[in-house]
Amino acid sequence: MRTAILSRQMDNALATAGATTAPISQALACSGLTKTLGGRRVLQDLDLAVAPAEIVSLIGASGSGKTTLLRLIAGLEMPDSGSIMLDGQTVWSRDRQVPPERRRIGMVFQDYALWPHMTVDGNLAFGLQSQNLAAADIKRRVDHALEVTRLVALRERHPSALSGGQQQRVAIARCLAARPALMLFDEPLSNLDAALREDMRVEMMELVRQEGITVLYVTHDQAEAMAVSDRIAVMRAGVIAQFDTPQRIYDTPADTFVASFIGGFSLLPGEATGGYFTVDKYSGSPLRAPAATSGGGTLVLRPEDARPAERHPANRLSGIVASRAFQGRCWRLVVTIGQHRVRIDWAEDVAPGSVVEFSLPPERCTVLPG
Amino acid sequence: MATTLDHDLHQEGVADFNRGPGLHAPRAHLITRWRRILTRARPRPGHAIDALIYLAFFLLIGLPLLVVLIQAVLPNLFDLNAADASFSLVPLARVFASSRLAVSVLNSLQLAATVAVTATILGGAFAIALMRCNLPGRAVIATVPWLVFLTPSYLKGLAWVLLMSPGGYLAQLGVLPEGLDHAFFALPGLVFVHTLSLFPLASFIIGGALAGLGNEFEEAARLSGARPLRVWLRITLPLLAPALALSAIATFAEVLSDFGLASTIARLSNFGVLTYGIYAAASSYPVDFPMAGSQSLILLSLVVMVVLADRLLRRQAAMRLISGRAKPVRSYVLKTWRWPLAAAMLLIALFALALPLVAIAFRAVSRSLDAGLAWNNLTAINLVSAVTWDSEINGALLRSLIYAAVTALITCGFALLLSIRLDRAAKVMRPVVLGLSLGAVAIPGIVLGFGYILVWNRLPVFRDWPFPHYGAASLLVLGYVAAAFPYCLVIIVNAVGQLAPNLGDAARLFGVGASRRLIRITLPLVWLSIVTAFLMTFIRTVFELPMSQMLIPLAGPPAPPVILKFFSHDQDGPAAALSLAAMIAAGGVAALIWLAARRLGVRLGATRPHQAIPSGQNTASDLMQTGGA
Repeated sequence: MRTAILSRQMDNALATAGATTAPISQALACSGLTKTLGGRRVLQDLDLAVAPAEIVSLIGASGSGKTTLLRLIAGLEMPDSGSIMLDGQTVWSRDRQVPPERRRIGMVFQDYALWPHMTVDGNLAFGLQSQNLAAADIKRRVDHALEVTRLVALRERHPSALSGGQQQRVAIARCLAARPALMLFDEPLSNLDAALREDMRVEMMELVRQEGITVLYVTHDQAEAMAVSDRIAVMRAGVIAQFDTPQRIYDTPADTFVASFIGGFSLLPGEATGGYFTVDKYSGSPLRAPAATSGGGTLVLRPEDARPAERHPANRLSGIVASRAFQGRCWRLVVTIGQHRVRIDWAEDVAPGSVVEFSLPPERCTVLPG
Repeated sequence: MATTLDHDLHQEGVADFNRGPGLHAPRAHLITRWRRILTRARPRPGHAIDALIYLAFFLLIGLPLLVVLIQAVLPNLFDLNAADASFSLVPLARVFASSRLAVSVLNSLQLAATVAVTATILGGAFAIALMRCNLPGRAVIATVPWLVFLTPSYLKGLAWVLLMSPGGYLAQLGVLPEGLDHAFFALPGLVFVHTLSLFPLASFIIGGALAGLGNEFEEAARLSGARPLRVWLRITLPLLAPALALSAIATFAEVLSDFGLASTIARLSNFGVLTYGIYAAASSYPVDFPMAGSQSLILLSLVVMVVLADRLLRRQAAMRLISGRAKPVRSYVLKTWRWPLAAAMLLIALFALALPLVAIAFRAVSRSLDAGLAWNNLTAINLVSAVTWDSEINGALLRSLIYAAVTALITCGFALLLSIRLDRAAKVMRPVVLGLSLGAVAIPGIVLGFGYILVWNRLPVFRDWPFPHYGAASLLVLGYVAAAFPYCLVIIVNAVGQLAPNLGDAARLFGVGASRRLIRITLPLVWLSIVTAFLMTFIRTVFELPMSQMLIPLAGPPAPPVILKFFSHDQDGPAAALSLAAMIAAGGVAALIWLAARRLGVRLGATRPHQAIPSGQNTASDLMQTGGA
């Protein structure tokens, strides 16, 4: 219902701007986006489609193009080629460019970009006044946004009188009040300390889900992306390396780049033959990996998959503990296997220099080609 | 102090100090208390250095100002015939009773207020165009404010007199409308030249604020649905308001304190202003100390009010802006409009810089102004005189270059040592010294010069002091150091302040001594800032007018008073030749020093400023925001 209302508002806004219309199937559709900055190709023929009310995270290393993509969608930068459609209407193509103020996009900036000379109320009302809404409507929308973000008591304050968490809530409230069709988050939690970050993440996502807003969320923190997203787009050098649900990306990374980026995984190169995988330069017996296709490949070893050796006696690896760190519920061991180092989670403390033997469930032995 | 402590300790029982266990509680408490007192009272080398720093400030700036203020209310204190210390406000009343003097106060205020508005508008527009638009030739245009800023105002005044006089160059070219020359030699002309002279100050201040704003506030506003004009009116301009106000205040203070245009265009226009009134009273015979003192008091009071307003605004500005760091800024992409905009900025450069310099250069190589732009009017006599050994012009030029080099050396050395001391100083020392320095920037040079005359010519102890001595070059150099020191300190303090304290600590932990740390760690990292401060001090001192005019050594005057003397005696040619030769010599020497310093810097392992200083710091902006005299 809410999405439908937003879509209608979007239709009106874009129609005023003279945008071309197509049947609504996605909240956002980027096609063949290319962008060069300072002589470097930042985005290369990139496609991305986001469904209405979906929360999609863009993750990737610095320079992978995620913030540039966000800015192109917002209209703050112009692509070199391709097209961008919002709710089925073209907002950027070679023939049609809708300015940022007509796209009805909300954005939560990394350092929030709250206007310091306006109160919280003023920050929320400014965008609505630009839409020429009636004063009563503006007040109603501002009140609602302040209520849901629990900022009513702070409405007369200036941003400089707010804490980091409160500033972030104001930034979100400012977007919510404007009722955008799409909300963009540019690493919004990076300025907060670890404890507050967790709380704000939960609170923020509850809010946007409750309001039914489509979200594109940029972060370089894979744990954060896993926690907030319906789907994650992992970016590498201007292209999307994998676009899938958090669980599928975790369980079946598309390639070694995604597997290594998702973090914590260890990669063991070797050879797969007839459902078995032999680790390079390791004298132990091959591991059973039923899904592996024959040929050179890389075994993805997730730390939590390590089991006591007797659990899967045919799928054992052994090595020497190089170091260990207490993680709360377990010990994280760094184990040298042949010439490789892997990380595993282990129930007991093992002194460095000791030999540790562990097993892997065959169904968890993911082997990536190449 | 030590004697009192010894006595007290004896009374309290020093013998108890080392008794150790078994002390009863009140006695132990007493010992702890006395240990604290002793620790605090023990003289440390740092205290002596701090005391020397305060003493240097007092002698350089505090005492001359104090004597000016005292003299204003004790007008006969330094009377040559019958000195007495009776309090009197009669000289002050005389200023306001005399219509000529009262008009000069009003003229100063009217001129300063008008230029504050015009220079802020022009400088603001220039900064916005330069920083926010994709201008062609931006790198070249960006150097214009710096070159204009470094050109002394009296040279611009001299040049515009050559251009706008009846029979001047513009009239000869036929581009001077009828009657405009009369309008020029009045308030409008002064406003015009002051605006062209001071727009760089406004441009630096507003440009610094723009750099601090970045794009995000505007982008957030656009994404909220606001069109560009509304974004500017509701977001950007309100955020720039404190910088606009600071710019207006700084230019207001600059015009009030200016002596260059006051002694050129304003004098020719019979447009009396306070600074020239002080000079006229102090240089008349016999010296009218009461009149110079009371006008100085009025000028100082006005400047103090401006400085207070500046501090107040700055505090508000700090509260309003969440971050003062420079952020990456994206330019507006102007299509065909970027060419007219660049042309408009080049037009400003033409009026503010090119035209005055060409006028001076042409007058330097011509026989007379009246004969105008003709081949047979060209001559090398003036320039030859400027480079002929033992000529008056050449002597003045060489003296200025030498005094400026010595001044720059002393000032930078002192500023570097003080900056390092301040970086590690206690909470009180740093704000006090920086406050004194920044306050000193706003002190009109003519008032400080008058203070130097009172101290070193009239105060008993100082009058007989062998070095520096009144009438000697050493006193002039001391005055130059006082005038240049605040600027120099701001540049070097900023550079030293950017160095992480642990750089020195790390070296210390490796056993590196203080002097080696200074040479191997601090100096290479702030080298280019020191060189910048040195060159800025050098160039400013070559052309420094108020001190040069007030403290002319018996051995011979430096260049600025000679330029003005020639100019006021209708000898434009030699005046222009000396100006041109001084500019070429100062520029050439500065370029050579820069090249040599860069080579030396490479040997020292010096970093470029942007490597040593995080991008958030804007030394130029900080410097400009101090205002200036």
